[in-house]
Amino acid sequence: MKEENIRNFCIIAHIDHGKSTLADRILELTGAIDKRELKSQMLDSMDLERERGITIKLNAVQLSYKYNNDEYQLNLIDTPGHVDFSYEVSRSLAACEGAILVVDAAQGVEAQTLANLYLALDNNLTVIPVINKIDLPSADPDKVITELENIGFDKKDIILTSAKTGVGVEELLHKIIEVIPSPKGDRKSKLKALIFDSLFDSYRGVITSIRVVDGEVHKGDIIKMMETNAVYDVVGLSINNPKEKEVDVLRAGEVGYLFASIKSISDVHVGDTITLESNPADIALPGYKPMQPTVYCGLYPIESNKFEDLREALNKLKLNDAALTFEPETSKALGFGFRCGFLGLLHMEIVEERIEREFGINLIATSPSVVYEVELTDKTKIQVDSPTKMPKRELISKTYEPYVKCSIFTPSEYIGPLMELCQDKRGTFINIDYLDTERVTINYELPLSEIVYDFFDRLKSSTKGYASFDYEVIGYKESNLVKMDILLNGEVVDALSVIVHKDFAYKRGRLVTEKLKEIIPRQLFEVPIQAAIGMHVIARETVRALRKDVLAKCYGGDVTRKKKLLEKQKEGKKRMKQIGSVEVPQEAFLSILSTKE
Amino acid sequence: MIKNCYIHIPFCDNICSYCDFCKMYYKEDLVDKYLTFLEQEIESIYNGEELETIYIGGGTPSSLNIKQLERLFKIINKLNKSNKIEYTIEGNFSSTTKDKLLLYKKYGINRLSLGLESINKNNLKILERDNNKEEIKEKIKLMKEIGFNNINVDLIYAIPNETLEVLRKDIDFILSLDIEHISTYSLIIEENTKLYINKNKNIDEDLDLEMYNEITNTLKNNNYIHYEISNFSKVGYESNHNKCYWLNNNYYGFGLGASSYIDNKRITNTRSISKYLNNNYIYEKEELNIDDIIEYEIILGLRLIKGINLNLFKEKYHKDLINIYNYNELINNNLLILKDNYLSIPEDKIYISNEIIVKLLQSKI
Repeated sequence: MKEENIRNFCIIAHIDHGKSTLADRILELTGAIDKRELKSQMLDSMDLERERGITIKLNAVQLSYKYNNDEYQLNLIDTPGHVDFSYEVSRSLAACEGAILVVDAAQGVEAQTLANLYLALDNNLTVIPVINKIDLPSADPDKVITELENIGFDKKDIILTSAKTGVGVEELLHKIIEVIPSPKGDRKSKLKALIFDSLFDSYRGVITSIRVVDGEVHKGDIIKMMETNAVYDVVGLSINNPKEKEVDVLRAGEVGYLFASIKSISDVHVGDTITLESNPADIALPGYKPMQPTVYCGLYPIESNKFEDLREALNKLKLNDAALTFEPETSKALGFGFRCGFLGLLHMEIVEERIEREFGINLIATSPSVVYEVELTDKTKIQVDSPTKMPKRELISKTYEPYVKCSIFTPSEYIGPLMELCQDKRGTFINIDYLDTERVTINYELPLSEIVYDFFDRLKSSTKGYASFDYEVIGYKESNLVKMDILLNGEVVDALSVIVHKDFAYKRGRLVTEKLKEIIPRQLFEVPIQAAIGMHVIARETVRALRKDVLAKCYGGDVTRKKKLLEKQKEGKKRMKQIGSVEVPQEAFLSILSTKE
Repeated sequence: MIKNCYIHIPFCDNICSYCDFCKMYYKEDLVDKYLTFLEQEIESIYNGEELETIYIGGGTPSSLNIKQLERLFKIINKLNKSNKIEYTIEGNFSSTTKDKLLLYKKYGINRLSLGLESINKNNLKILERDNNKEEIKEKIKLMKEIGFNNINVDLIYAIPNETLEVLRKDIDFILSLDIEHISTYSLIIEENTKLYINKNKNIDEDLDLEMYNEITNTLKNNNYIHYEISNFSKVGYESNHNKCYWLNNNYYGFGLGASSYIDNKRITNTRSISKYLNNNYIYEKEELNIDDIIEYEIILGLRLIKGINLNLFKEKYHKDLINIYNYNELINNNLLILKDNYLSIPEDKIYISNEIIVKLLQSKI
């Protein structure tokens, strides 16, 4: 296909604004799939994605569409919809010339609408604003049109659709062809192809999703990754329409898949540039940055004999998920496990859930930690991604923690409670932007650790769910941090230690001990729970000794029931971790995170 | 060898709020039909063994009318009874009339078990039962006059809002009746009961234990022997029928929802009356292997204050229990006692016996 007749675009939206349903409708309208085949949300291939309504991995579909008697190739590139994956989003945007910005007709503009819009504009994309779900009884398109005008769109460019009924989707396809520019690459120049996604296939190894920017790539070419310098033979090229179809060549402007028997995903970095080994490009495409985990936690199998299974599970997930990092760690309390790094909290939850669901390993996850920087008295600086790695107090001269710039998008009536929340979370106010009289963006600088803790829950509860937020890491700031230990029956449980700001330690200590008191069942003896900084106990609770655990009545010889009850009790004990002499349920390890104030 | 037999009569005049047993409202024609099928069940299963205990439980067996009771006893008379049989019938005070007592006597019943539960008005209101102190006293007197010298009453405690004071009055009243056997039950709020549906909550477990200790101490001070978690008796009046369960012995169970233990099979009958009246008695059958049987031996045997007779255990299973479960650590931690070759739970820890039993089961070698 000549470049003039190619359109590469993506759909961007706040979560749940109907991105995937709109994609489905476009697939259906271009005849790529018929209604019968249309499993709802075709592009989200993982079960978990469909359940959570989140697109985790990228995907690209090639569609053919006839317009004014001319044949067009439309490449729809799907993007993940969450802040944790903003780098992946930016790379898939870099593979496009245009973006469809979907806004829910009832919800209106939200935080990620703006965040995604700015990302698209940063990538010089032509943006088509779409108000979706106009079929909803609660839809208020006029209000949303005003909101879109306030962020710089022209009313006449806005398309109203209902992905559910199909209204407006045809018009949208025409608009895509009319306003989104065609690719302007040079097919005769040296090969430059952007890797905007990769996934692991157990038969073919790593499959990369690429956008050819300049030149051509053929089956059999020997290619080189410009960042990692890895060299491979191109075993195959294909497109997805949306069934996979092999092709011999991908030319500048085109989007497709490349596989080259790559066994290690560490050779393939999203954002890297592919070129030909024999005739390499001089400079790589701009914008590559390696992904850095921002949140760490320990993952331990409840049954200690599942440690190797867990390693295997992580290795398998890693094949599809370059951002996941892990290394073995040992906890006195939990035994052998892994310290895992994630792009953010959602990423962490998804990985945990996949391990439990797809690999059947019951996990204990320790409370998440960000990466702190500690300057020692001898002036050396170290990184601390786990409370257990925190040096002794007398060796520390300064501590630093990562900060984020946080934008909260909210109806203006919640400004008060939100500022209170941010203040409470050690935030520094930057400014408030008024989108219109009713909607504002509040900008704050906040410690990342506070966001990891319970910021999201509290944001939701203090705004009845109306506010949304987005953040980006901006760097480190000095902060007075201490390690707080938790002791059960007088013994430090390393897996329960956390790093906290000193001024907040008492409050946290009290909350954590109270929460643990609720979670830890009564045992045969009294169990003291203490929070301590060094030798100094700052909070204490007691789990009283078990008083009653007996089946008083055994009726009419129905002893089978009693045995079943005891068996259940025995099973229940398997889900507990024995720490010293205390049996601790797995929830205890996350309780440090979920303490509601 | 089967020496024990349970017979279930699932009918009641009144349904109590806490009851999750197999029961339904009394209806005359339904009872007649039920007795027909009960007779068929017994005839099809009973193998002619000489029985040492028969226990007619419910429900409320005393809710049957005289004619129905007589028919029931005639059916039971086809069973071969030992001359030292313990033959019990359950009932409540109001429906256990003089005529019925005389009939019981005539058919050889020698033990009565009566639901008293409490005499406190608030307790009774929550339990949705009715009781009259004077009526109870008179009935007990009558029972004794007719010649019943082995009487049990049930007491329920740990009822929402109950205090130690209220419990003490209940205990004192029961002691004043001077009967041979007392069963005491901490109220369990079971699913599918009115109590559960009305969102009643258990009382604090510390108070529950205090009440249990109050009962145990008072009854022991009044010459009752604490022989099983929930059961007390005067010397020589332990319930042989109940002990057959705790000693892991075989028993027949006839009637709706009844359980039996025959030839290494634990069988639970259906709770559906329509199925039962179609000769579909059995709901579930658990075939036991030797490990299961030993597990039951422990779970049940440790309900007895005296514990498990290790000599008898070895005789039965040709193996020492210590070679199956390593319970030494539990003994060292005072969670079990080994004395005179009996393994038991210390009396002051009997109220956490589940926790201890689970630990013992986990110590399997």
